Amino acid sequence: MLQIKNLSKTYANGVKALKDVSLDIPNGMFGLLGPNGAGKSTLMRTIATLQDPDAGTIRLNNLDVLGDKAAARRQLGYLPQEFGVYPKVSAESMLDHFAVLKGVTARAERKNLVEALLQQVNLWEVRKRKLGTFSGGMRQRFGIAQALIGSPKLIIVDEPTAGLDPEERNRFLNLLAEIGENVVVILSTHIVEDVTDLCPRMAIIALGQVLLSGEPNESMRALDGRVWRRAVATSAIDDYKKRFTVLSTRLVGGKSIVHVLGDSRPEEGFEGVAPDLEDVYFGQLRHQAANRSTPAAGA
Amino acid sequence: MRIFREIFGFELRQQLKSPLFWMIAFAFAAIAFAAATSDSVQIGGGVGNTHRNAPLVVLTWLIVFTLLGMFLITVFVAGAALRDFEARTAELFFATPMTRSAYLGGRFAAGYVASAAVIVAVAIGLTLGAHMPWVDPARLGPTDWSTYFYSFGVFVLPNLLFVAALLFLLATLTRSLLGTYIGVIAFFVLWQVAVITAGNLEHRTLGALIDPFGFGAIELASRYWSIEDRNTRLPELTGILLANRAIWVSAGAAMLLATLALFRPDREGLRLWRKRSKLGESAAPAAAVLRVPTVTLRTDGGARWAQFVKLARFDTRGVLTGVAFLVILAFGLVNLGASLGFSNDIFGTKAYPVTHLMTGSLQSSYNFLLIIIVGFYAGELVWRERSAHISEMTDAYALPDWIPLCSKLVAITAVIVAFILAGVLECMGYQLIRGYTHLQPGLYLSYTALTALGFVLIAALAIFFQVIANNKFFGYLLIVLFLVSRIALRQLDFDHHLYDYQGAPDLPYSDMNGYGHFLAGHLWFRAYWTCFAVFLLVIAALYWPRGTQLGWRERTRIARQRFRAPARLLAAASVVGFCVLGAWIFYNTTVINRYVPGDLAKQRKADYEKHYRQYKDLPQPRITDVNIAMDMFPSARRVDVRGHYVLANKTDAPISDLHVMLPVEWKLVSLQMAPHEVVSDDPIAGYTIYRLKQPLAPGASMDFDFVLQYASRGFRNSPDDTSVVENGTFINNQVFPHFGYNEEAQLVDRNDRRKYGLGPVPRMAKIDDQGARKNNLLCCDSDWVNFETTLSTEPDQIALAPGYLEREWTENGRHYFHYKMDKPILGFFSFQSARYQVKRDRWKDVSVEVYYDAQHPYNVDRMIDSMKKSLAHYSEVYAPFQFHQMRILEFPDYQTFAQSFANTVPYSESIGFIADLRKPDDIDFVFYVTAHEVAHQWWAHQVIGANVQGVTMLDETFAQYSALMLQEKEYGKAQMRKFLKYELDRYLSGRGGELVEEMPLALNENQAYIHYRKGSVVMYALKDYIGEDVVDRTLARFDREKAFQQPPYTITTEFLDDLKQETDPRWQPLIEDLFNRITVFDNRITDATAKKRDDGKYDVTMKLHAQKTYSDGQGKVSQGTIDTPIEIGVFARAPDGKESHEKILLLEKRAVADGDSTITVTVDSEPYEAGIDPYNKLVDRVSDDNRMKVTLQ
Repeated sequence: MLQIKNLSKTYANGVKALKDVSLDIPNGMFGLLGPNGAGKSTLMRTIATLQDPDAGTIRLNNLDVLGDKAAARRQLGYLPQEFGVYPKVSAESMLDHFAVLKGVTARAERKNLVEALLQQVNLWEVRKRKLGTFSGGMRQRFGIAQALIGSPKLIIVDEPTAGLDPEERNRFLNLLAEIGENVVVILSTHIVEDVTDLCPRMAIIALGQVLLSGEPNESMRALDGRVWRRAVATSAIDDYKKRFTVLSTRLVGGKSIVHVLGDSRPEEGFEGVAPDLEDVYFGQLRHQAANRSTPAAGA
Repeated sequence: MRIFREIFGFELRQQLKSPLFWMIAFAFAAIAFAAATSDSVQIGGGVGNTHRNAPLVVLTWLIVFTLLGMFLITVFVAGAALRDFEARTAELFFATPMTRSAYLGGRFAAGYVASAAVIVAVAIGLTLGAHMPWVDPARLGPTDWSTYFYSFGVFVLPNLLFVAALLFLLATLTRSLLGTYIGVIAFFVLWQVAVITAGNLEHRTLGALIDPFGFGAIELASRYWSIEDRNTRLPELTGILLANRAIWVSAGAAMLLATLALFRPDREGLRLWRKRSKLGESAAPAAAVLRVPTVTLRTDGGARWAQFVKLARFDTRGVLTGVAFLVILAFGLVNLGASLGFSNDIFGTKAYPVTHLMTGSLQSSYNFLLIIIVGFYAGELVWRERSAHISEMTDAYALPDWIPLCSKLVAITAVIVAFILAGVLECMGYQLIRGYTHLQPGLYLSYTALTALGFVLIAALAIFFQVIANNKFFGYLLIVLFLVSRIALRQLDFDHHLYDYQGAPDLPYSDMNGYGHFLAGHLWFRAYWTCFAVFLLVIAALYWPRGTQLGWRERTRIARQRFRAPARLLAAASVVGFCVLGAWIFYNTTVINRYVPGDLAKQRKADYEKHYRQYKDLPQPRITDVNIAMDMFPSARRVDVRGHYVLANKTDAPISDLHVMLPVEWKLVSLQMAPHEVVSDDPIAGYTIYRLKQPLAPGASMDFDFVLQYASRGFRNSPDDTSVVENGTFINNQVFPHFGYNEEAQLVDRNDRRKYGLGPVPRMAKIDDQGARKNNLLCCDSDWVNFETTLSTEPDQIALAPGYLEREWTENGRHYFHYKMDKPILGFFSFQSARYQVKRDRWKDVSVEVYYDAQHPYNVDRMIDSMKKSLAHYSEVYAPFQFHQMRILEFPDYQTFAQSFANTVPYSESIGFIADLRKPDDIDFVFYVTAHEVAHQWWAHQVIGANVQGVTMLDETFAQYSALMLQEKEYGKAQMRKFLKYELDRYLSGRGGELVEEMPLALNENQAYIHYRKGSVVMYALKDYIGEDVVDRTLARFDREKAFQQPPYTITTEFLDDLKQETDPRWQPLIEDLFNRITVFDNRITDATAKKRDDGKYDVTMKLHAQKTYSDGQGKVSQGTIDTPIEIGVFARAPDGKESHEKILLLEKRAVADGDSTITVTVDSEPYEAGIDPYNKLVDRVSDDNRMKVTLQ
């Protein structure tokens, strides 16, 4: 159980990255959904002890994460959004290297661990290959392997599926799902399907604020009967945006499909649809934009 | 063209953003700056009356730097060629419609411009250096910008074009920086081989043409230039030089075209060995259930250690396989090889490669590169995880901050040690190749450890800078600033190592004395700075970058959090250690020892001159008897002296004031003489004036008794206390009281004198200064003295001084020696003590002895042989030997000379004892130097001249001649050419180094290049013209007339008068030319052909050029006329025979016409070489154009 309370962070340039963020995250997969620049990474890095907040506390099963970073790090697995590898080192020896740095210093134990992890993430066949030759998906799987060293209680995965092809993405998400059974796994993403497919609980965050936190199904139920769909001419979209709360526009077979939020059918031609998580997500964003005084916001 | 410009601009920006570029540019500029400002770096011959910034000097410098830069410039040019393949951006580029030539051209041009920019930095360094205030303006010519334009236009840019094209081609072909490097080294080797081969074949034109850098062509164009020419001219771009430039620019262009043709834009490039790597995806189905074994994450000490070792090994491997490291290593090893091959020789004969000479080469030609390695890799390693974005993951690991920090330091340490050990291995290889097997691994190890420690301290500072700066480039800047400020502080005479981070006294090593007492002081300073470095590292650990850290304030907040018990403890301990050691060092170096910074020492010399020069001619009594009791305690480094002088008033007037000089390092414990009072006492200058209550009457004598003590305490800031040491003490009588003003103690540097308000550099007394003839060369307060001494030393050492051993005994566990001289000697004595081996022999009734260190037995027999033959020859032709014992005594390497005292020759371990005489063709300079020193028993210890112009001709030149004649008897005429050529060349380059005024031999003012080098050549020529018997007869007569003479002492004109009386009058002009003028010939052979005659003989036709010039003291030349015959020679040689085995077909002196002429002679068999003055008997401006291979027609 991870408890985040009143976390705030303002950067030196005045950007408020986190505004009084509080979240309770139980064991299992937890999706953190938000647009680029929402503060997801700041939050993740703060939980990963890589950055100090201005205020707030983080507790992991009674451990004060910010107060005893060393202890927290022993229970932590972190896969950053962007990470590098030494291109000329093989996957096996790099993982071995990381295992030592994490504290798995007993040789036999480490050998078994590295082998098991590589098997687990399906890199056993290519363990001798240099990391520089890995594809994006292989690299991500390698990244999760290092995050799993030492049976962490808390695993933080920052935007792992960006840039993966569908098959790779599936494979990766399957892996995460298995991991997430007994520990806290925080998956930050801006791809709604990641959360839909995987996370029993989630939060939506934008502009440093938690807009919503709960179970995806519950959130979708809240929109039941309020989401409407229509195919429109691309040129008319701006007009629709002025008149309605447009959640999303999407091209399907060359036509624009708009989703609109409304308590009743907005106009003739719209049909009701069952809300999906994406509708929840965009609904929250539109809602936040509407509440902000500056007209430019929410673009 | 637009594309070209775009690519060029992009690449150039990349180059200029690279820290390596700025480091190299800065390092080169700094070296150039140092070369232009100090005499310690000498390239290009900006010495003597040739201006330091003479056009030819600037040109040579710039070319040498271009050549040196080749290894480092590789990074730029090859980097430009390889960048897109390394960054995997190649496909982006080649998918665009640009042409291959625009791409390659742009990249090449940018690399070329970056390389040229480095040489521009060199030019800036040179120019700035020449204008520094401490550079003597008299040694500078006007700054001539056209020199720079010429140098860049004709040499630097074309040379760079060639080099860059070569590198670009190699890089394109190999696609690897390492491969490029190997190619460069191969090219270097081939080039050297070609140049040396051409040199051996004496194909000067070919040699000039095949040299891609143009050295040979410059040499060819400027070899007959006068100093005046060198200061004003540059080689004209015609003839061979033009051809050379054309050839190599075309070669560069051809290689560029080849690159264009061979370039392959695909991934693999042009590969000779094709290996296809499989790029398949791993796509096995996901495992069903997560099964990862549970492990324990350990945090105990053992785990920390394992993590530390792992990271350290990982980082070390990263550096050791890094291209920059390998490149610098390769450069260093090549440089070291050159240093090993070309240093440590005397007269072309090499020393045995004893281990401390090897470490000397490491020190001078190799280790300096570690500065670059340490500076560069501190930045690379500290930021390694960040640049690779690994830290994104690892920063979240439960790894303490100190582990990466320490592992970086250990990695750099390992790299330092590996680098030094690579050099050590090369040295050992060299030793083995030379057939020398006493490798002394222990000495290599201690050297490695001591040297590495110094660089590790720099590494700690560099890491600290990197961490604090929080930015790689800023960190580099800080370390560069540190290095510059160090140089600047030393220039300003802030030279105490207490405030010079990492500074410690140098550590001189001698085989006899090891590191001696110098080691302790060195290590104290190292410990002191190590404490400081630990403190820096604690700070660095506190500020170690981890996670996202933004402002300085936040970093400080985190540092405070991290400042817990262990850090506090370590910081406190290091600060305490630093302070305590600092106090201890301060106490040792400046309280119980004297610390005199350079400027203060000069100020004191100036004060001495200002206060006391007025007493220069004040009549003083002369020492007539000396009795010294000296107790030496080498281990404690203490010497007690009880001395007794008898002083006599040899003037016509009573003397009431005694002006006593004592060296400040020795303490005067007591002084006893007739009743007196102290008029003034100047402990800083060591100058005390005593007034006798009863003046010393003319002809009267007085006793003068003194007790002196030298007690070394603690250690010093610089290792200048080399005379009293544990094994190899060497003291001379300068430490005893002397009387009157000492001109030797004056400041002699022109700049210093100006700075401290002194007049022009004092010159030697003129030859017609009758007053100055009261003193001889060696001593200004005595003539011939009675000498007796009792020495004691430690039981396993032998103590020696001039005189015969009267008694040797042991008393109170000490070893006593009583020496006494049976006849008066010059007031010039030495005292030595060491653990000696002794080898004895006899020549007639004279005992011949060598006292040597057990490690150096190599040439002892040669020395004995030389002494015996010298004694035999000199006593036969000059005069009987005045002593019945002759001794050679080895002393440590702290000084390198041999010096003749009465029946005693202290001889440095580094000159004769380790000469490698195993090659029969090498000059046996041990035989020669020994003969020279023995000759001084006649030429100095029998006949000594007045201390006026020309005096050193009477001892040094005559000793040279005596030894030369003995050498000729021992080794034959054939070796004479080699020897004389060597002497001639050193005279000629010595002339170039003259700062004041070159004098003729008979008027020379103690100028070594004249009295030794020119002296040899002149005396040999004299002998060759007038006959050895005449010279010997004259010398014997001169000895007979002047030996053991009382003042006024003799002068060179008296010898020349004897010579003219003994010689046929037709040789009078020759004698004038040789002794009283600066005569320089320009004799050369320009063509030699031979025709076989019907009778089997050969007609040899030689085209000759003969010219005689006179030079004034500043190098201004006037024409003379050839009025003496000059030797013509024709030689035969067996196929593959060496010069030393050649056969003389014809050798005779002939009247040769002034200027160009043609001579035909007839010889009996087939000629090989012919020449004018073929044995280099005359002073010739260029010594190696006197002979030529004969072409058979």
